[in-house]
Amino acid sequence: MNNAQIEIQLIASLVAVACAIPGTFLVLRKMAMISDAISHSILPGLVIGFFITQDLNSPFLILLAALTGVITVVLVERIQKTGLVKEDTAIGLVFPALFSIGVILIAKNANDVHLDVDAVLLGELAFAPFDRLMIAGADVGPKSLWIIGTILSMTIGLLIAFFKELKISTFDAGLAASLGFSPALIHYGLMTVASVTTVGAFDAVGAILVVALMIAPAASAYLLTTNLKKMLGLAISFGVFSAISGYWLAHWLDASIAGSITTMLGLLFLIIYLFAPSKGLIAVMYREKQQRTEVSLLTFLLHLKNHSETRERHVNHLQEHINWQKVRAKTVLDLALKNNMIIIDNNIVSLTQKGDEFTSKAINYIITNEDAQIEDMKDDFFLFRG
Amino acid sequence: MDIQEYFSLVFSDYTLRTITLGTAVLGAVTGMLGSFAVLRKQSLLGDAISHAALPGIAIAFLITGAKDSNTLLIGALVSGLIGTFWIRGIVTKTHLKSDTALGLILSLFFGFGMLLLTFIQKQPNANQAGLDKYLFGQAATLVESDVWLMAIITGLCLIVLLFFWKEFKLFLFDADYAKTLGFNTKFIDILITSFIVLAIVLGLQTVGVVLMSAMLLAPAAAARQWTNSLSKMVLLAAIFGAFSGVFGTAISASQNNLSTGPVIVIVASVFVIFSFIFSPSRGLLFRQIRFISNRRDLEQQKTLAFMYHIAETHENISHPHTIKILNNFQGYTRKTLQKLVDKDYVTLDGTMWSLTEKGFETAANLYNQQAIKDE
Repeated sequence: MNNAQIEIQLIASLVAVACAIPGTFLVLRKMAMISDAISHSILPGLVIGFFITQDLNSPFLILLAALTGVITVVLVERIQKTGLVKEDTAIGLVFPALFSIGVILIAKNANDVHLDVDAVLLGELAFAPFDRLMIAGADVGPKSLWIIGTILSMTIGLLIAFFKELKISTFDAGLAASLGFSPALIHYGLMTVASVTTVGAFDAVGAILVVALMIAPAASAYLLTTNLKKMLGLAISFGVFSAISGYWLAHWLDASIAGSITTMLGLLFLIIYLFAPSKGLIAVMYREKQQRTEVSLLTFLLHLKNHSETRERHVNHLQEHINWQKVRAKTVLDLALKNNMIIIDNNIVSLTQKGDEFTSKAINYIITNEDAQIEDMKDDFFLFRG
Repeated sequence: MDIQEYFSLVFSDYTLRTITLGTAVLGAVTGMLGSFAVLRKQSLLGDAISHAALPGIAIAFLITGAKDSNTLLIGALVSGLIGTFWIRGIVTKTHLKSDTALGLILSLFFGFGMLLLTFIQKQPNANQAGLDKYLFGQAATLVESDVWLMAIITGLCLIVLLFFWKEFKLFLFDADYAKTLGFNTKFIDILITSFIVLAIVLGLQTVGVVLMSAMLLAPAAAARQWTNSLSKMVLLAAIFGAFSGVFGTAISASQNNLSTGPVIVIVASVFVIFSFIFSPSRGLLFRQIRFISNRRDLEQQKTLAFMYHIAETHENISHPHTIKILNNFQGYTRKTLQKLVDKDYVTLDGTMWSLTEKGFETAANLYNQQAIKDE
């Protein structure tokens, strides 16, 4: 590994961390698409900033572009407030318009602006180490490393200082307001941080990767934990992992680094989406199947309890009466037998004492309908789950 | 070339005619289907799908090696559909919300697509030069067969729309009711979504991945402001879309260095802004005017009611009072008083006012109606 490679990985990791922090809150606040809008609509800000400063790395340009990001958020909210269209339509209207203005500005001034729309959207991390920051003639490292480092330390500073406020306003805006924290202030603060991060990161990794780095690690982490601190930690580590592994994937394929990092994020999310212990697709589908069988079991037991005559309790009759297919009827019957809820005597099914007790309690639950009670009850009665 | 020259050339020049027709048809079909996306609150789905189509284009190219736009569009269609159904899978099966799912699919697919595109560019044999146009679109590359394809798909859309109109409408506004009536809502849902994906994929070549969502949303959002009827909205959206296409092409053709996609989006956005402001029933301008006139009416009524309370205490209702006593009352201005005089509710005599018979009665009724409502 040479120096440039280490620097690229360092920049990518710092960007990942800087994005994961606001990203976590955006995902929790159901505002993930705002990051997409911001990442597109900073373009006119960048172009105008470039006209003024003539330097892509000037802090003024970053501020101006970030301001466009915040303006986007405000515009979206204004349009939404008129009630003429829904929030998502408002987002979808604002950012393509602003992006188009940016593209046209670039096209009209192609001779003066050394800005490429592709570069804004995709970035080129591989060139980042060549643009060095010189202080008093000494080389202190790549410019983008300094930019993103500064943004990251500001973000971390703000996160530590306002963690409590952020947490409360994210999960309970009403409580936050009643405790005297202004939810609006925190909202716009978060939007500003997201905008600044997007702008700071775009020329290293591109606007689209910024969106991926904000949303994907946070969404993956959200499938694994419901604890905010753990979620932040997981999101950061997912981001850094994808940044570094993505770099090596790009190295191996000789392709875009931003694209590879996103692909790694995608793979990571896919794996977590499928296999997350309690919220992954497989776990959810298994649980749904289990619940279906258990509901059937309950229906079956209720039927038994309601009918004392033997004709109604014959094994074959059940199949036609409750209208279940054979496999399903057998699954339910087996489950009931395994849990000692019924006994089958001469093809006549009857409830055991335990089954009777369970059914009574279940009826009681259905009448009063108290949440979570039925799950506790299942734990008490079931030896085997569906 | 200026705009006039453009319009004189549009019928004779092959390229201009093709592009204009292409963008017009595209605008019409996206506007039509966009109405459904907007009404179903799936506005951002278009954005996600158009980004998600990118890896499909790259994979289709990798497999077939062909630059033929139809092959690439099939790839885009497949990956767009995969993206759409994955979004649905995430929303229904996990606790992640739809915005997160959209953002995820959008950025992940797009990033993967970029990986493939850069990978293709480094391939020695590839004549890959045409793939970039799908990012921002190049209307100039439209040929007649593309326009035919668009026209055929638009026709197909129209037929399906007319055929399933009742079902679509019902499903759109009350999906549960449609289900209870026995319609296969899942099928309708998949049908609408697939057509939206199809329209987006069609537009990729012209407008590009990044701006495609605006083509879907803007005409529909503009049309929504003018009508409350679905059929009118779909029709209007198609017209707005077609005009955005034509005007956008005209403007970009008459200027140097302007790519068509962004200009079409800007034109469509202008339609939206115009509709937001000037639509008679929902528009901001008329809403403000209505608001002001309502407030004026209310103030007038307040003044009248106040006068009534005073007049009530006198035997002769037309007993004159000084205008001064109205001063403390919010509803009173010289203008409202004049209005009341014009309506014959009040007569003025110097600095004195008195209620007329008619005014007294109106005020009494005003009061009564309120009293009845309160009960």
